Amino acid sequence: MSTSYVATAGEDAQAKKRGKKGAPSADSERSRGENALGRKLVAPAIVVMLIVTAFPMLRALYLSVFNYSLTAPEDREFVGLQNYVTALTDPLFWRDTGVTVLYMLVTVAIELVIGFVFAMVMHRVVFARGVIRTSILIPYGIITVVSGFAWQFAFSYQNGFVNGWLPFLEADFNWFGDSTPAIIAIMVSEIWKTTPFMSLLLLAGLAQVSEDMIEAAKVDGATWWQRLWKVILPNMRAAIMVAVLFRALDAYRIFDNIAVMTAGAVGTESISFLTYRQTIEQFQLGIGSALSVLLFLSVILIAFLIVKLFKVDLAQARQES
Amino acid sequence: MRKIGVPVGVALILVWCLLPVVWIISLSFKSQSAITNGSPGFFPASGDGAGWANYVDVIENDQFRRAILNSIGISLIATLLSVIIATLAAYAIARLEFKGKKFVLTMALAIAMFPVVSLVGPLFDMWRSIGLYDTWPGLIIPYMSFTLPLAIWTLSAFFREIPWELEQAAQVDGATSWQAFRKVIVPLAAPGVFTAAILTFFFAWNDFVFGISLTSTENARPIPAALSFFVGQDPFNRPASLLAAGAVVSTIPIIVIVLLFQRKIVAGLTSGAVKG
Amino acid sequence: MRHTVDDDRGQVVARRPRSVLGRRARRRGVGLAALALAAPLLAACSGDSGPPTLNWYVNPDGVDTLGKLAEQCSTDDYDIELQLLPTGATDQRVQLARRLAAKDDSTDLMSLDPVFVAEFANAGWLEELPQEAADKATEDDVLRGAAETVTWDDKVYAFPQWANTQVLWFRKSLAEQAGLDMSQPVTWEQVIDAANEAGGKVGVQANKYEAYVVWINALVQGAGGQIISDNEAGKDATIEIDSEAGQAAAAVIEQLAGADAAQPDLTTSNEGSSLGWMYPAEGPGEFMVNWTFVYKNYQGLVDSGEITQEQFDDLGWARYPATVEGEQSKPPVGGIDIGVGAFSQHPEFALEAAECVTSEEAQVALAVDEGLMPARNSAYDSPKLAEAYPKDLLELFRDSVDTGGPRPESAYYATISAALQSVWHAPTSVDPDSTPEESADFLRDVLDGKALL
Repeated sequence: MSTSYVATAGEDAQAKKRGKKGAPSADSERSRGENALGRKLVAPAIVVMLIVTAFPMLRALYLSVFNYSLTAPEDREFVGLQNYVTALTDPLFWRDTGVTVLYMLVTVAIELVIGFVFAMVMHRVVFARGVIRTSILIPYGIITVVSGFAWQFAFSYQNGFVNGWLPFLEADFNWFGDSTPAIIAIMVSEIWKTTPFMSLLLLAGLAQVSEDMIEAAKVDGATWWQRLWKVILPNMRAAIMVAVLFRALDAYRIFDNIAVMTAGAVGTESISFLTYRQTIEQFQLGIGSALSVLLFLSVILIAFLIVKLFKVDLAQARQES
Repeated sequence: MRKIGVPVGVALILVWCLLPVVWIISLSFKSQSAITNGSPGFFPASGDGAGWANYVDVIENDQFRRAILNSIGISLIATLLSVIIATLAAYAIARLEFKGKKFVLTMALAIAMFPVVSLVGPLFDMWRSIGLYDTWPGLIIPYMSFTLPLAIWTLSAFFREIPWELEQAAQVDGATSWQAFRKVIVPLAAPGVFTAAILTFFFAWNDFVFGISLTSTENARPIPAALSFFVGQDPFNRPASLLAAGAVVSTIPIIVIVLLFQRKIVAGLTSGAVKG
Repeated sequence: MRHTVDDDRGQVVARRPRSVLGRRARRRGVGLAALALAAPLLAACSGDSGPPTLNWYVNPDGVDTLGKLAEQCSTDDYDIELQLLPTGATDQRVQLARRLAAKDDSTDLMSLDPVFVAEFANAGWLEELPQEAADKATEDDVLRGAAETVTWDDKVYAFPQWANTQVLWFRKSLAEQAGLDMSQPVTWEQVIDAANEAGGKVGVQANKYEAYVVWINALVQGAGGQIISDNEAGKDATIEIDSEAGQAAAAVIEQLAGADAAQPDLTTSNEGSSLGWMYPAEGPGEFMVNWTFVYKNYQGLVDSGEITQEQFDDLGWARYPATVEGEQSKPPVGGIDIGVGAFSQHPEFALEAAECVTSEEAQVALAVDEGLMPARNSAYDSPKLAEAYPKDLLELFRDSVDTGGPRPESAYYATISAALQSVWHAPTSVDPDSTPEESADFLRDVLDGKALL
């Protein structure tokens, strides 16, 4: 499921309007008091976040230097960085990484296009807003596992309807018998579920584009297409990039749909699923922990790349004025 | 263009969002024997209908009933804890000037991006040795890893919209920062807190990774994990129609929440940028 | 390995001719009613005042009868309650292993696929049977194939409850048409050729799951070889699959994969997907290797009118085909062993209960009502069983279990199996010249922690 921190694409306009609200008062004693209170108030959040993530992550780092299988606990031995070498030189690791990147690129690109169309419609529509809002929130709120089942059965040639609706397919075409169709089926479920979220983020961005500018462009004789590319999109750039960043990181962690629809069979496995399989199914806590660490590092790397490549203004995402 | 475009777009959105939902409902009315024999098609073929049989089976299934209870309990507690802690933090972030503010936000952002699968291995190893495996707290604690940052972000966005002048007025009247927070801001902030709670709840309700990894019985197993372990009559294939009924039941709370609070949720997701 | 699918998520099995299906489901008596039997732990925990509850984790095979057994074997001292495991063998192992790794003290009894006994025993998750019980569990009356599965490192860790085995099921008319004399041992080559000639099919299990390893193992052992030896060395076991026997096995798979007689869904075939080819709407039927439940399955189709009595009488059975001419085949052995959790709060009660649910009467009940064959010799002589099955079929089952070849016993069995599946699947890509060698190398790397699985 996607997250919603991005909500603040249009934040800085408002922030500017408000001016520097939280500016420290001249009174230094009060400022000190504020400082102390602020820290007291955020302390529980910091402590909890550290406990639930940093602590297990350090544990993963520690376990990752052992050859350690839960089913043969006595055989546990220190192997240094061997697990990392194994993972990084293994063709399976790279194949799964490739598949994961494919999921990420394709789903985010398609979601961006469809999400934008939906956002435009929602922006313009004057009737039945409640109905549209309600329906768009259903895929957003539905459990990913349920979405996976719905689409798995839809694609099933035994009980589904997709083969019957697509004229170019044999009635007994097995979507889950081969890599390409199985990956497509997984992507469909992923896209269906997360496009509404993308469209809501883009809608927020769209609301920031001034109608006056669009009207002015119209007066100047710009076509609809030109207005879209010259006025609307450039003005939404920040919102788009923030949405892409968050959805991409989310898509890179894809797990639920794969687990439900193919269980990683026929080359549909993602890097998250590989990690899960090593730790939870094979009980190989050593190599599994090494994969956990690598997965974490690759998420950071992707975040870094997107931020640098597209020059995403993280200050906006961080809600700073 | 616009005249045709918008209605077509609206139709497109409705089909997109509702078709799979209608499909899963339709599937839940196919009989289990029809599924075993193979029953392609969107709607149940004549004679393949099951009436409410699948729903009766699902509701009468102890494991599933326990899973609903687990999901509601665990998600509500995780939401409650996250929102309480996040409210304190978000207030400080939106209102107070203090060192380390950026750090908190950056940290929440980083943790929100955290691949949950990375946590599963070490957590499993830790939980099994301290007895948290397959218990409610064993899920509530890891749920905080994504519910808390989400709540902090949503809430700090909401809190920026609050008319803080009232607080200042209260402070002029002699109230301390803390009193001003409690007496003036809390009532003003309640709707935002409520919306943040809904979004957080959705997230907790959706969790699958922790649910399948850190539980092993109906003691704590939440709905998504329970669905994935459903056993039907045919040992060689998944009981599609039964699962569909289970899926519909597990989606009802979401639909009810969406119907009641759609305005607030959209506002929460877009942080007031859309005039609802 | 019993006849549940190992991992069928997403792998949609081919459509079977409609007439032949349907009954199977009822016969197995799984169903949601059975699910409801698995009472929630809540109830288990609340009974402070009453006798303690023993939790028995069962796989969803024959749950109705297991429920009755649990009731019968409950005493004044304890109540036995069923807890249902997921469908696939792999999932079942994962669920149990996770509980045991967490030192769960409410896992009292468990139904174990024989191949996981060694792994669980080695991890210290199973209570070793005391001498008396151990002798009972492995006494002469217990068929050899089954008795071997409960022993690890010269100690006994479980009671065999029922034994499964595969035989060659076929249409007599098909064999006749192809001119294959089924009264003599037949080889895979003969069977495939015969099916090819007569336009029939050869049913196997070759999806990427446990039963595919069952097939590979039977082929390798049938050629006098084995997948690994020196099993007790754990990770350092000797890998034997890159051998003449391994090549002979690969040759059979290659031959079938390239034959007209292969099922169209060969690469995703499981125990259920080959059933339908026995009585297709058109065509002469099939030869199929499959577990013992097949007989009751087709009998059920007669009751429901989906096939005629005449068709059913055309069903033949013979010993599992030989891999190479002149060498006796090694039929697969599966079934269920009952183990006692090492962390159980009531190990003596659990041992007593385990013995009770694996008694001769219990085994007869499972065989008669559920088609799950006994692991004890004497149970085959029960009049009830003689009534339910033809005499020669019972003999065949008993003989197959007694002289069958179990899959390798190893603390790393799950790893070995997954590594084999990974290289040998899809069956259409198997090549005698490269597959055995490749799988041996890969297995070595995986066991050494040098390759990801």
